[in-house]
Amino acid sequence: METEKLYEITAYTENQVGLLSSIAGIFTRRSLNIEKLLVYPSTVEGIHKFKILTRSTEHLIRAVVLQIEKKVDVVKAFYQVNDERSAREIRIVQEFLEERERAHGQDDIK
Amino acid sequence: MTHKISGAEILLESLLAQGVDTVFGYPGGQIIPVYDKLYDYQDRIRHILVRHEQGAIHAAQGYARAGGMPGTVLVTSGPGATNVVTGIADAMIDSTPVVVIAGQVGTSLLGTDAFQETDFIGLTTPITKWSYQIRRAEDIAWAVSRAYYIAKSGRPGPVVLDFTKDAQTGMAEYREASCSFIRSYVPVPKPSEEVLEAAARMIVESRRPLLVYGQGILLSGAEKALEAFLDKTGMPAASTLLGLSALRSDNPHYIGMLGMHGNLAPNIMTQACDLLIAVGMRFDDRVTGNVKTYARQAKVLHIDIDASEIGKNIHADLGVLGDAREVLEALTSRVASRKGGDWLQEPGRFHAVEQERVIAPETAPESGPVKPGEVVSVVSDVCGREAIVVTDVGQNQMFAARYSRFRHSRSMITSGGLGTMGFGLPAAIGAKIAAPQRPVCLFVGDGGLQMTMQELGTILQEQVGVKIVLLDNNWLGNVRQWQELFFHERYSATKMVNPDYACIAAAYSIRFENVESRGELRPAVERMLADDAPCILRVHVAETDNVFPMIPPGKSVNEIMLNEKEWFTNGN
Repeated sequence: METEKLYEITAYTENQVGLLSSIAGIFTRRSLNIEKLLVYPSTVEGIHKFKILTRSTEHLIRAVVLQIEKKVDVVKAFYQVNDERSAREIRIVQEFLEERERAHGQDDIK
Repeated sequence: MTHKISGAEILLESLLAQGVDTVFGYPGGQIIPVYDKLYDYQDRIRHILVRHEQGAIHAAQGYARAGGMPGTVLVTSGPGATNVVTGIADAMIDSTPVVVIAGQVGTSLLGTDAFQETDFIGLTTPITKWSYQIRRAEDIAWAVSRAYYIAKSGRPGPVVLDFTKDAQTGMAEYREASCSFIRSYVPVPKPSEEVLEAAARMIVESRRPLLVYGQGILLSGAEKALEAFLDKTGMPAASTLLGLSALRSDNPHYIGMLGMHGNLAPNIMTQACDLLIAVGMRFDDRVTGNVKTYARQAKVLHIDIDASEIGKNIHADLGVLGDAREVLEALTSRVASRKGGDWLQEPGRFHAVEQERVIAPETAPESGPVKPGEVVSVVSDVCGREAIVVTDVGQNQMFAARYSRFRHSRSMITSGGLGTMGFGLPAAIGAKIAAPQRPVCLFVGDGGLQMTMQELGTILQEQVGVKIVLLDNNWLGNVRQWQELFFHERYSATKMVNPDYACIAAAYSIRFENVESRGELRPAVERMLADDAPCILRVHVAETDNVFPMIPPGKSVNEIMLNEKEWFTNGN
């Protein structure tokens, strides 16, 4: 039996109407209780950040994070047990977007 | 001076820009402006008027599955929108590209419980790949181009556009939009060289490899790449329900269908292989049986376009993220040519047992009532394996899947993940409209036919040449089978008192053939398939026939019932 721990999930997203309920729905489907939720503009220009605290097994958290990241308007999603700071995540998000827009040009996101 | 046109016209221009020439729909109050403009576009957009919105979405699904292009649905707000919800859920779980455009009340009325208002975005968020409410005429072209790009790219799926009435009537300049990039969305991940090398190594080192594939082969157009990979590696391959027809039934590497009512060989060999290569499939529980015992002896190499599928149900020793065709081509060039050896003799043993104990009694009985497997087998035979097979859900579906033989890709259209009864008839209509040059044969039970039987009206109006093979046993057969086997023969609410189908066919001016006995079957099927007109062939089949083999729920994939009394044992 895998042990349950408190995990912190972070997701970097476009600022789109309805995305909060879309992400919350993934937790509902798996009967996961959200202990804490923060949504705010991230330090990446135009990108929002979700911070979600939930208690579960790593196997389930991994599945949930991949299903969050699968959403069209989600850029990247991560999870961690302890409070590893987010500088690494921010670097990954910035590099991902720069690489995408270098290859494809500007996105006309509304 | 800029030239402004209405939002309704911008929508239709945007659909034409996407190559849409067929729309399945039903008008209503909050979508009238679009229908009004559609009057001027009748020469460019064919509108199929269904009899219920559920028919529109299933027809669009059948159209997308047969033709490979997204299906388009146009409905009104409120009940029009909620009536397509089942089909959206079905398209989501079966990765079918459809775009649903639903009317919505004007923006000033949103949230006020206005007449025929419903929160359609809220209702469909968990079952769509993307949903968007269009509130301004200026946003239509942008939203439509995104909708089609998202619906068909990567792992396909349904998209909802909730189209407010004032956006339909508002005036704006039309500028053609085309979307081929969304910065937050990676539809087709590229596998790294290291991962491909590691996968090739696993293949080279294996002695008893088994490849299992799903609809991903059809969706990525990987049929030839799969054949080439199998020819080079000499390994056996088995299909999921949705992967059927990706390989021809007579491909020498093909060993049958996986899962609860699949063939013996692939299910048993799953528990004997040393490498399981899964391509474009998601280890549904109807495929895996008990996951705790599934392929525990094997290494698992999972190739899929969707990262969230890898490791979701079955642990993957290696996941390869990417398009099935690209990955298979890359692997084919990385592995040495070889022959299968003794491992390739295995399926023959299991096929012989299944042929004698299950297939022969079902498809070639000498006496007694007509068997459903026999009907499927005769239809497959008479149409020379040329038909697109569409099924409803239940025993008819399993008999159709087990006993149809395929020569062409995209020839099996069935509701897999959601198991939607009533899917068959409208899906067959959509399939025939997408592929008018091919025969389309629907296998449907008496229960499922009556769930969406109103679509016979659509067949009448549009003269869609669907061949409806009604396997009539006067029972909800699949549930009846479970009640017999697992619920002590307590037949709760599964007996059906059915209408006179000859009268129903006559009411819709559809040709009708009735088969009560074995001698009538083949001539009736030959008459049915002699032309391209719609036809109902009602066959009174054995009332209490069951689908076998069967892996009962919760059992391992090598714990298989051959009939009501006998289990497969590896010695017999």
